Amino acid sequence: MSENASGAVDLGRGLILPNPVGLASGTAGYGFELDQLIDINRVGALYTKGTTVRAREGNPPPRVAETGGGMLNSIGLQNPGVDAVAAEYAPRWKGWAIQVIVNIAGGSVEEYVHCTTVLEPIDEVAGIELNISCPNIARGLDFGRDPVAAARLVAAVRAVTERCVIVKLSPNVTDIAAVARAVEDAGADAVSAVNTYIGRKIHRASGRSVLPLGNGGLSGPAIQPLALAAVAAVCEAVDIPVIGVGGIVDAASARDFLIVGASAVQVGTATFVNPETALQVLDGLRG
Amino acid sequence: MTADLSRAARETGEVLVVERLGGGLLELVARLPHLAATALPGTFAQLRCGQGTTPLLRRPFSVAWTQDDTCGFVFEAVGAGTRLLSELQPGDPLDSLGPLGHGFSVVDAGPVVCVSGGLGCAPFPLLINELRRRGVEDIFVLNGARTATRLYPASRFARPAVPVVAEATDDGTRGHHGFVTDLLGQALSSHPSALYACGPNAMLGAVMRTLVDSGAELPPTLEASLEAPMGCGFGTCLGCALPALDEAGSSVWRLCCTDGPVMAMRDVDWEGIGALPGADVA
Repeated sequence: MSENASGAVDLGRGLILPNPVGLASGTAGYGFELDQLIDINRVGALYTKGTTVRAREGNPPPRVAETGGGMLNSIGLQNPGVDAVAAEYAPRWKGWAIQVIVNIAGGSVEEYVHCTTVLEPIDEVAGIELNISCPNIARGLDFGRDPVAAARLVAAVRAVTERCVIVKLSPNVTDIAAVARAVEDAGADAVSAVNTYIGRKIHRASGRSVLPLGNGGLSGPAIQPLALAAVAAVCEAVDIPVIGVGGIVDAASARDFLIVGASAVQVGTATFVNPETALQVLDGLRG
Repeated sequence: MTADLSRAARETGEVLVVERLGGGLLELVARLPHLAATALPGTFAQLRCGQGTTPLLRRPFSVAWTQDDTCGFVFEAVGAGTRLLSELQPGDPLDSLGPLGHGFSVVDAGPVVCVSGGLGCAPFPLLINELRRRGVEDIFVLNGARTATRLYPASRFARPAVPVVAEATDDGTRGHHGFVTDLLGQALSSHPSALYACGPNAMLGAVMRTLVDSGAELPPTLEASLEAPMGCGFGTCLGCALPALDEAGSSVWRLCCTDGPVMAMRDVDWEGIGALPGADVA
């Protein structure tokens, strides 16, 4: 861990985060809500909602369910599509000090490449985070579970962008380090770990799953020790920067990720509970 | 479209009292100066339940009423979060994020009908207060509950002058023996300029069905406050989707927290709402 845990972080390809604290994908939208609730420009990075080629309506409700120390979600990548993000959202990021990293998701290599190409000319897009780990859409995990497929995807995206490419890894694999090594070899500049853990909650009065698709993605402080173990394994496996994410609620739980070797962190579900959490984490790391 | 959150702020207030109204209904009164000064009828606050990480998420509550720097919330202890709120003592801190959501369109002329089912009473005192401030006097409240002890007291819908409250109970222990929707026909005969409804989503669907089946002209302002399990309450998690109808009449998802909780009843996909599984309360 560096002496100044709150200093700038170089993720590669010219993407320098002013500080290591980011807002995790799926918990901050495209920044416009939180911009009204907190001083968002004090945060180092915004990782946007997962964005796809075409607009997605998302999954049927209920989409969230609370569990001990956590929550399950099955949002289903509801987003307006990459063209709307490029045309309508990106201009609103102009002048923001927070680095906006667009999280993209897809069902094929071509879809990821298309999204990347659309975003490539936009100055306000500081980097790309490849979501190869969404548990809530059909085939969302196809790339995240297979090191060879993940590497092929990263190489294809690498070929069409000069921007920093971060790969968000799934914890729902046997060997997360193998996937991390594969995407590093294929040209990823950094990895973020972890996405949500697959989980399920039963509605006890009826015996059915609370979430209509059965499973959802578990996040929140319940997963912090699991995420920490996964991030430690990734940090040992690769030389590129690792961004730790999973269950951070305060500076202490964020510092754990820096201790095991992460260069930066993302605050996720805790933002729902307290929109100021990322700023409190930052202040705590500085203190 | 990005929700307008310009009024929302987090504040730590102080519990003044948790009053037991009977039948399990509770009224939490807390000093929350920001919320009291900024809440509009139909908006809600996300209240933190306890200090720990279980329960993790805040719980949404309609702002029932405001007076000076205090706010009232009506609820029932049904799960871990509301149980913790029910155990709060005077002087305990209360963490609020609000006001949030899209509230009622408050009309300037009556008559007005308010339809409440169970805890659906919650937003009406603040709404009625605002209607009165605008000079609307002919306000009729239809208040339904399972049984008499679970009826929100008529005297609390507005102070000091209590509006006309007609009551219905499923078991006939007070007022009309049957559903609150049975009382709609008579209320509609006054040709209300607005009808506002709040209660379980199934009851709201029944209100809409009754209105349409009656063949009577629908009130120009026809709004309902809906409910859905929420993650954040401010439009980022996208967890509280409800089926609504777009301009072309096609079903689309709208967020309960920022598109609602108050929605025009004509714009809600009531068939879709009816097909949703029952809420999971924790």
